[in-house]
Amino acid sequence: MEKDQGFMAEGKPARNSCSPGMEMQTKELKNCFLNPNWDNSMDQGDPFESALSSMACSPAASNAGSSNFPGSGENVIMRELIGKLGNICNTISPQSFINPIPNNNISYYTSPLNSPPELNLSMVDSQMRGNLKFPSVGNQLLNHPSFAPISADPEFAERAARIPCFGVTEAGFPQRLVPTMDCMKITGSQPNVTDNNKSLPHNGNPCFDQVSGRLSRCSSTENGDSKEESSISEQIPGVDSSIKGQNDANARKRKSIPRGKAKETPYPAPADTKIAQENNESDAKRSKQPNGNAKEANDENQKQNKETPKPPEPPKDYIHVRARRGQATDSHSLAERVRREKISERMKFLQDLVPGCNKVTGKAVMLDEIINYVQSLQRQVEFLSMKLATVNPRMNVNMEALLSKDMFQSRGSLPHVLYSMDSSAPTFGSGYQPQQALPLNNGMSNNTEIQFSMNPINAALHKTQGLQLPPVDSSTSNNANPQIGSFLDDDLQSIVQMGFGQIQPQSYLSSKVAGQVKMEM
Amino acid sequence: MDSQLLNPTSLKSRFTARFLRALTKINAPNPISSSSPTPREIFQRYRRIKVAADKSMAYSVRSRTTWSRATLSRLRTRSRHRRLASFGPRSSVTTAAVLKKTSSHGKENEGGLGVQAGELRELVPGGEAMDLCNLLDETAHYIKCLTTQVQVMKTIANLYSLE
Repeated sequence: MEKDQGFMAEGKPARNSCSPGMEMQTKELKNCFLNPNWDNSMDQGDPFESALSSMACSPAASNAGSSNFPGSGENVIMRELIGKLGNICNTISPQSFINPIPNNNISYYTSPLNSPPELNLSMVDSQMRGNLKFPSVGNQLLNHPSFAPISADPEFAERAARIPCFGVTEAGFPQRLVPTMDCMKITGSQPNVTDNNKSLPHNGNPCFDQVSGRLSRCSSTENGDSKEESSISEQIPGVDSSIKGQNDANARKRKSIPRGKAKETPYPAPADTKIAQENNESDAKRSKQPNGNAKEANDENQKQNKETPKPPEPPKDYIHVRARRGQATDSHSLAERVRREKISERMKFLQDLVPGCNKVTGKAVMLDEIINYVQSLQRQVEFLSMKLATVNPRMNVNMEALLSKDMFQSRGSLPHVLYSMDSSAPTFGSGYQPQQALPLNNGMSNNTEIQFSMNPINAALHKTQGLQLPPVDSSTSNNANPQIGSFLDDDLQSIVQMGFGQIQPQSYLSSKVAGQVKMEM
Repeated sequence: MDSQLLNPTSLKSRFTARFLRALTKINAPNPISSSSPTPREIFQRYRRIKVAADKSMAYSVRSRTTWSRATLSRLRTRSRHRRLASFGPRSSVTTAAVLKKTSSHGKENEGGLGVQAGELRELVPGGEAMDLCNLLDETAHYIKCLTTQVQVMKTIANLYSLE
């Protein structure tokens, strides 16, 4: 990725300074939240990653941004905020995604502006412009007692503000960390993304949702579990009932985890509408710059969450399924979506089983094909049992041993048998006319089964056409005729004769035609 | 193609062993080798062989799938019916009624596939009491077993006719 490469190229020293903490964290983290592999992190849409990547992209801009920074006071506030967050996260969970930042804060704070802060600054700056809430957030943060020790430079604060989870919420900022912990835990315990989203206790902080969403994404991605959320939904029926505001936002979650898209957990619901909207805006702006996958979805989700006329219902979905964007998010529709995806998954599997279904599209046609195939298979079994009933009298005891050996070479033996039958075929006068629906007695199937039984034989035959076969005992085949004739129709007789292996190229073609006829039927 | 022996515990080998045993049992009492069996005899043998085929396949699958269980229970009730002809229709009716009751719940969300799903339910044994999701699973396993059955029986028939 260009941004990552740019980061590597330009921000390397800066990155190194901040990377040790992060790398430490990543080792601890089960989630790939802070992954030294920036590509992965970017794909996962980690808020920090996106923020950092944007930082990386524009080292130059950061310098410019710093000059544009509206007020230093807010920067200080943000720095304190970030530091506080880092401390809190450190205390809460070893997996805290914030850990690296506080560790680095010290380095940031103590040293003169080095590149990482500058990089952050650019992002933060632009975000701040778009972030209406920022000043108020800063004011609130000032009140936090633990912010005092933070002496971060202004740029870092801005950078922190830029991070989606940190950016905008007013009241719930400290609360975020707690859900983060839960999110983390759940993320660790369950490989699926949706779990994390749903497990988060609801707080009024939309940013947290993003973070948790990212975390869950990380975990799921890392675990390689890119199943659709539908599969996940059933695993955690009611992990955290306190997550109320998140249903629509969570409902909007991406199902595209397997596709590598990172969608943010939309903000929780109505309580944070304002904040969410502002977050949406800031996120939207943010998403434009960095690798936007993670944020865009989030922004769009949030926007849709809050601004679309389709009202996402207040949090009530505990099924931990991520709904797609623009889709209804009530529990019923989610469950239905899960079911639908299951069904289509099985339909795809059946498509592989049933031959000739690759070109078929649509569930109804697919089901018709499956039904036809099952019917033909059942008829084949009937026909073969009838055939066995007629030929059995000639069986001797040695057949079992012979059969057990031949069964395991069944595919190879078939052409042998068919060719041997073929030599006797000319003795049978009846021709194979697939277009005719041959009436059968005793519930025997029509020629469709013949078509099916012929096709695999022909297929096997075509595979081994070069084989030399012993001459058939034509009298054997002929013996079958009088037995059958008295009992069965002439049509059935012809069918049995066909079954005895009127394998000729002509018959193969006719069976092919018959197959088509069968399809049309 | 490949001359290796198949997995001795595979579905195919299990089915083959059982089916051959049943076949020998069916053919054993038949002393006919030259005289042509009457059509009735042939028909009876056909039915027995068909039952044997279904039974051996269902036994090879054990009770892992719904269709195998349904097939086995169907075969058992049928054999019971044949012995106690008067009681036959009753049990089958009750079974069907019970199945229909239980099946009504799971069929809600078929979308526009209700007709085909109904047909599939008729085809797959024991499919009446399943929702579409499980029905598709059962169908997949059923198709696999049917193809194995057809393959084995085809080979047997060809070998028999070779003699």
